[in-house]
Amino acid sequence: MNRRTVIKNLALVISGAVLLPSCVGKDGSSYVQLKHVNIDEDGQRLIADVAETIIPKTTTPGAKDLNLPAFVLLMIDDCYDKKGQEVFVAGMKAFTAKIKKEHGKEFGDLDTKTRETILMAIEKPPVTKNKPQKNTPPDPITNFYWGVKGQTVFGYTNSQYFMTKEIVYELVPGRYVVHYPISKLKLKTA
Amino acid sequence: MANLNIDSVKERTFDAIVIGSGISGGWAAKELTGNGLKTLVLERGRDVKHIKDYPTTNKMPWEFEHRGQLPSAVMEANPIVGRCYAFGEDSQHFFVKDKEHPYVQQKPFDWIRGYQVGGKSLLWARQTQRWSDFDFEGPARDGYAVDWPIRYKDIAPWYSHVEKFAGIAGNKDGLAELPDGEFLPGFPLNDVEQYFSDHLKTHYKNRHVISARCAHLSKPNQIHVDQGRTQCQNRDLCQRGCPFGGYFSSNASTIPWAEKSGNMMLRPHSVVQSIIYDEQKGKATGVRVIDSNTKEAIEYHAKIIFVNAAALNTNLVLLNSTSSRFPNGLGNDSGVLGKFVAFHNYSANIGAEYDGLKEWTVDGRSPTSGYIPRFRNVYKQETDFLRGYACTFGGYRYQQHKYEGVGASLKEGLVKGDLGPWYVGAQFMGETIPKDTNHVSLDAKLKDDWGVPLLNVSVDYDDNDEKMKKDFIEQLTEMFTSAGFKNIHPSTDHRAPGLDIHEMGGARMGKDPKTSILNEWNQVHACKNVFVTDGACMTSTSCQNPSLTYMAITARAANHAVDELKKGNLS
Repeated sequence: MNRRTVIKNLALVISGAVLLPSCVGKDGSSYVQLKHVNIDEDGQRLIADVAETIIPKTTTPGAKDLNLPAFVLLMIDDCYDKKGQEVFVAGMKAFTAKIKKEHGKEFGDLDTKTRETILMAIEKPPVTKNKPQKNTPPDPITNFYWGVKGQTVFGYTNSQYFMTKEIVYELVPGRYVVHYPISKLKLKTA
Repeated sequence: MANLNIDSVKERTFDAIVIGSGISGGWAAKELTGNGLKTLVLERGRDVKHIKDYPTTNKMPWEFEHRGQLPSAVMEANPIVGRCYAFGEDSQHFFVKDKEHPYVQQKPFDWIRGYQVGGKSLLWARQTQRWSDFDFEGPARDGYAVDWPIRYKDIAPWYSHVEKFAGIAGNKDGLAELPDGEFLPGFPLNDVEQYFSDHLKTHYKNRHVISARCAHLSKPNQIHVDQGRTQCQNRDLCQRGCPFGGYFSSNASTIPWAEKSGNMMLRPHSVVQSIIYDEQKGKATGVRVIDSNTKEAIEYHAKIIFVNAAALNTNLVLLNSTSSRFPNGLGNDSGVLGKFVAFHNYSANIGAEYDGLKEWTVDGRSPTSGYIPRFRNVYKQETDFLRGYACTFGGYRYQQHKYEGVGASLKEGLVKGDLGPWYVGAQFMGETIPKDTNHVSLDAKLKDDWGVPLLNVSVDYDDNDEKMKKDFIEQLTEMFTSAGFKNIHPSTDHRAPGLDIHEMGGARMGKDPKTSILNEWNQVHACKNVFVTDGACMTSTSCQNPSLTYMAITARAANHAVDELKKGNLS
């Protein structure tokens, strides 16, 4: 019924915006009791470290400061279906094993540069001669990575910090002005 | 609310009973109480008080546990209502959940319902386009349904009546196919919408983009201030209920107005089982109600009864109101009750990009968009399908963020970004043809918790719908192409009927009691003190969003009922 929403969603898909789900816990680093999915303390620590690598503390708050790890867990627990949860957990375990095997350490014990390199290798795998086959689902590790990244980014861009300090979300705009010069928008351009 | 522990017949007797408190029931309540009738308004759901009962209305995005997303458990438990665009973490409490009120889908039908005071008027898309005689005369001209017993001149003053009170933003566009009304200032078209409007004007004879008329207080008049409502604040969060009363709902407008008259008794948690027909008196004398909390059965009595239970539930109440005189449902001598149900076909849209007007954008948010009135088969039959379609048309720009990478560069990419091009989109809104094969009926075996038979719904698309959809894709593609839009991508889906939330008919108006249920005043032909003025009364659907027409029809019928009571014609 709301055509505007329909059209907006359509446009968002075209523009390639990533709209992924989100939920927030109390303490990003502490163990969260989950209802539907089994992610133990080690798994939760790993997710927190991946989230912090994705949105690190810089001059501005990072994932852990904003309790995003707990949010990621809440979303996996509440908003993923059973199959999605199983694939996610399988990916998490495969990722843990791979890191242990290749680096002899846990992900969180690696330095920032190494952690970023590991994640970027998943996000942008080196181009191989074999063309990627269509319709093959992403491997579990890739799935795990995008799950954490999607929820972390969603939680970050919908956090109070982001929506009040980085951008200004207006609950009550009180205006609709057309023929508005883009120069007057206070956009931070690339 | 008055003490409900009333047992004497006198205390259960009113001048009028209104079944339902949604967009049409609210209007019946306002008009009847405003004319001094002691009116009982029955609502099957809970009470929802304006502002006080809008729990999410002032929440910031980060205050929702899942940031607006719904848990998979909710989505899996609600495949039907979960498909509704407006069902979200901020609005789910205003929707009927699938398991709460089952019905039988003989064919797939997504029945979207809001069981509370105000009904779906809290959730509607607030689009309010008038019908013209091209719509009312359609069935007679094209021979696809019985003739409407009314014409535009009959309803025009009542459109004005409801528009002034509800508050409709719009422009005087001077289009014969979409008559002008009593408008507050219209929301402007943005640059790309205006560009497309100008383009169509020069390239086609009768294709227009106008600012869609909508039930928003762009600039309130005294009558709106008197209702306690204030100017629309462009929040675009209407489905939560508006704390400003910026858009029209029963909750913000008609129900409190009726309450203020001192003539209304509102009774939530009241499931109407049936209408009581008195064989001796030859008329309806009241309704049987089940209190949904106590399961107590109570009878209420009145001189007139308005049935505004929402289209399909109105059919259910009438079908379930059997007597010796009406063994097949109240007023159903013709056998057409429950038949000729129709809806709007929303199963296509089209998007594109526009590479111009890059120096312009918008600031703030609009509660409406552009609207393309029906341009097919308006003046004469000219295609291989009957009737036609309207479309929304909207243009938007977004800041283009970078989601690649991790770390500081990602953080920067999420904040910075240039404004992208204009994206444009149009939504198909097609008229469907009422047929006796599209019908609802009472299930022979299954009953709900209140002993009321479940509703069987058997409604489907037909070949006309497919042809019309194809034409929408072709015509809009051509219109977009000639306007220089790029990356044009039409899209169709296979949604079930119902998801449009514009189900209509089943108790249609008509001139002949042999082929219709209601007369020109929405009175049941064979039981004149029962009035049906919600979507059930619709003889055809045209393609405008129907709520404004329900409101006008209701106000007209209610005032007629008052006149008839005064003349002694209904007692």
